[in-house]
Amino acid sequence: MSKYIATRALRGAQAVVKEAEDALNAAMQSPGPDAKIELPMTAYYLPTIYGMLGHKVEKISDLQWVVDYCKTIVSPTPADNLWTPYLGETLDAGMATLFAEEVIEGIGYAKGERPQSKNGYTYNGAIDDVQMRTWGVALVDGRMTGFAAILGRAKNDEVAVKIVRELQAKGQLCFFTGDPNDGGDFITDQLLNQGVELGYDTYTVPLGNNTHSTIYAAGFATRAAISFGGFEPGDARRNLFYNKFRCFAFALALGPIDDLKYATAAGAINYGFPVIADTLIPNISPVGVTQYEHVVSMPFDDIPGANDMERAERLVEKCIEVRGIKLKITKVPIPVSYGAAFEGEVVRRADLRAEMGGKRGMCFEWLSMAGMDEIEDHKIELIGPDLDVAPAGTKTPMAIRVKIAGRKMQIDFEGVLERQIHHFLNGAEGIQHQGQRDISWIRIHNSAVEKGFRITDLGEILYACFKNEYGAIIDKIEMTFYTEEETVAKMMEEARAVYRERNERTAGLTDDSVDLFYSCTLCQSFAPTHVCVINPERVGLCGAYSWLDCKAAYEINPHGGNQPVPKGTCLSEEKGEWEGVNQFVNANTQQAIERFTVYSLMDAPMTTCGCCECVMSILPEANGVMVISRDDYSNSPSGMTFTQLMGIMGGGAQTPGMMGLGKTYISSDKFISFEGGIKRLVWLSKNLKEEFADQLQAAAEKVGVPDLIDKICDGDIAQDSDGMVAFLTEKGHPALSMDPMM
Amino acid sequence: MAVEIPVDKWTGKIRELKFGGGGRKEVIIGGASTLPYLKFEGEPCNPTRVAITIHDCEPPYPPGLLSAWGDVVKDPSEWAKKAVEIGADIICLRLTSAHPETANTGAVEAKATVDKVLSAVDVPLIVLGPGVAEKDNEVLMAVSETAKGQRIALGNCEEKNYKTIAAVAISDGHIAIAKTPLDINLAKQLNVLVSDVGVPMDSIIMDPDTGALGYGIEYGYSINERLRLAALMGDSMCQIPIINHAGPETWRQKEARAAEGVPAEWGSLDERAVIWEELTAIACINSGADLLVMNHPKAVEMIKATIGKLSA
Repeated sequence: MSKYIATRALRGAQAVVKEAEDALNAAMQSPGPDAKIELPMTAYYLPTIYGMLGHKVEKISDLQWVVDYCKTIVSPTPADNLWTPYLGETLDAGMATLFAEEVIEGIGYAKGERPQSKNGYTYNGAIDDVQMRTWGVALVDGRMTGFAAILGRAKNDEVAVKIVRELQAKGQLCFFTGDPNDGGDFITDQLLNQGVELGYDTYTVPLGNNTHSTIYAAGFATRAAISFGGFEPGDARRNLFYNKFRCFAFALALGPIDDLKYATAAGAINYGFPVIADTLIPNISPVGVTQYEHVVSMPFDDIPGANDMERAERLVEKCIEVRGIKLKITKVPIPVSYGAAFEGEVVRRADLRAEMGGKRGMCFEWLSMAGMDEIEDHKIELIGPDLDVAPAGTKTPMAIRVKIAGRKMQIDFEGVLERQIHHFLNGAEGIQHQGQRDISWIRIHNSAVEKGFRITDLGEILYACFKNEYGAIIDKIEMTFYTEEETVAKMMEEARAVYRERNERTAGLTDDSVDLFYSCTLCQSFAPTHVCVINPERVGLCGAYSWLDCKAAYEINPHGGNQPVPKGTCLSEEKGEWEGVNQFVNANTQQAIERFTVYSLMDAPMTTCGCCECVMSILPEANGVMVISRDDYSNSPSGMTFTQLMGIMGGGAQTPGMMGLGKTYISSDKFISFEGGIKRLVWLSKNLKEEFADQLQAAAEKVGVPDLIDKICDGDIAQDSDGMVAFLTEKGHPALSMDPMM
Repeated sequence: MAVEIPVDKWTGKIRELKFGGGGRKEVIIGGASTLPYLKFEGEPCNPTRVAITIHDCEPPYPPGLLSAWGDVVKDPSEWAKKAVEIGADIICLRLTSAHPETANTGAVEAKATVDKVLSAVDVPLIVLGPGVAEKDNEVLMAVSETAKGQRIALGNCEEKNYKTIAAVAISDGHIAIAKTPLDINLAKQLNVLVSDVGVPMDSIIMDPDTGALGYGIEYGYSINERLRLAALMGDSMCQIPIINHAGPETWRQKEARAAEGVPAEWGSLDERAVIWEELTAIACINSGADLLVMNHPKAVEMIKATIGKLSA
């Protein structure tokens, strides 16, 4: 907490409480103690006082208690030699300021002096209940992203208009207040000078001609919280929490800040509303009462930007970011159609306008995390020739460089997000995308280019999709597309180094290195007693969800099908049995499954839904296991095909000796490690043997049997038990001499 | 030899949900602590209640259903009165005319209709929008405000559009209907989402959807049953009463619409359609419905008799 701010806020609070006391004393004389105080059309009395303190103010004399209370919560200003945390005192002073301002404004209404007017323009004053409800609903359902209380005056009239237009475009309701001390015109005047239409309909509401009138914004927030939060007036704690987590408001202080503004800002911080100033003041950066920083100073002329308009834009962006406001993009702004219907579209050679990657081409995608201040949101750049000048029939080299910053972004999400590029780009009409990393391959249809589609439109697609689907973890995206061969070739090497490093990091992510596994219950709609427990060394049995995918999914949607499963006490290291996992599984399978081991096929193995990529089954005659993949239609030594095996174990059953699995689990170090791991593998679908040749070989070497893969039978060698056993015996498969499995 | 009836012990209980109040008749549903009507397992709870569908304009009902109601279908308040005479515990008003492809009426008309129905009858109300997100929000906001304090139910909150309806329900003290398309995960998730917006748990009713007999009743049955089992086993996010639209589902199907003689074995249309609705409703009751929405007066009579026997 800044001592400077604390001192100014406390001084402001002391002054405004005194001002309220004086105003009250005067009002007790005239219009007198029994004079009614009524704000227009509201059932909430003086709403901030009523909402926070549960005290109903109906007449002048009811204010005495409020003023007395304010005096008890305003501390003296800190002494010069005192350096203690002042947060509590400052926050209390902030609340006292709000109450005192409401007292003063309430007296104003009682005397018929509100709403204020200036030069023939009448300010809005207090907000009635009808409007509160309409806006309140919009705040709850997200049509309105939040509100901005703007105090003071902008650098000039044009900047004032730009700030308000930017806020409007982002769905923010704007309240304006100013003070005669602001030096003549304040923001309302600036907007009126420029002919901006102000009012409820345009979400731009001038509250009054003094800083005190900012209280009407607080009164609105307080009432909306009571109305939509379902708690009673006087429940200050819930009211403040409701505003912090659900009402995305902030204060924007333009121009010089006097004591009263500091004190009012301290009041706003109680609600979780941060304060952004366009002048040089101390920052209060630690998070706590507000979601992120409490006070952010952004001296206007120091904001990077080519001109004042750009600076105004940056200032608003900062406000949105500091308050943690997430914006949705309803339509992807590109010249071709966008939708799921185009995902499977193929662009044929005859229609081809441009092609990147594929055979003898060069195209890669590299997404990485950046610091919040390192990148500029929505900056999309092309360096090199565009689609319309690409010579027909040649390949365009391309690098797609995406940088992402976000308060909740983690380096582990880079891969998860990068893999979405494929799915996102495919949704555009006339764009075909395959592969990922440095094997990506893009084809663009003639008609798309004719309609005006250009390379930066790929960026627009990615921008909209990332923001909409991953808004919970992404705040800023910057993209650069490179199409000059030399640059692309050079960057490709850098990217490959990153891919390698990422591979190593993923390989280093082991079950032992984490405390949490993740669940996947997406299949419970048809397999109610099935839960996938997904650990770093075992992918979900459908192959679609890795531990990292689940982690990201949980960040994005905390109520979704992927929940954290704390491991808890270890019951058996060998079998991979943890108390936390057992409890989770039991609670989420209608208590049908009591125990669950992660590394054993024979003792309480994982259940199987119906989506597994492969099925594993014990083969007692070979003292080992077989794995058959979904795309292998042949018979297996168990006497059953994949489909027949699924018939036995699908639907959420726990079948010792049989289990569904994802393909990549076969080469994992934790592949049925309790039963002896990959050395138990005696039969494997031929297509898996080919597809995972390298990984399987590496796994075989790791367990010290480098020729293991040649000893494993497959469907081309034998599909029956006798033939398989003969083969295994001839090759001397290690499983034959291991301990019995049963 | 005495037969010992196996008795299950449940730890969970369905929440009770109150409709009405504020001068309006109160109807309480839910409260079950066993599978439906297994009185030997636990305390008896509130019986299944019956709501009757009415529309704010003459609906495209098949002739048999239309003639069973007669002229009242032209006036929602008359229709509501007649429905109460027939035995409706609750009126389920559909704002059909607000659909953009019908009369595309708006908030003003919706408010007027609801005011009329509220003053015509003293039973509680369910109001359903036309099922188009934007229009649902527009008309239900107005309806909610006009019925403030009388605790009606507003629907439907769906996964893609629940916040506005939930918000006005909280603000005006109504019940939010959480509707999901035959998916237990989504049903539970939507309950979580709706309560997360701030709707109290005792102000949510869930519509997990059902199909009519022959048109997916087995899915509806299974979803109801599993939600109920999860609730009884202690999953608090499933301990929410269930509403099933047995009537509207039935009357969409050809068995309730096809004329006689196609084929001849199907017999009398009137009898067939009403029994179809009744059987659909019985399946819903057996799997856990706390509130049924019905269409045909005769089917209402039959299902109320069945409920009476079950509760006896």
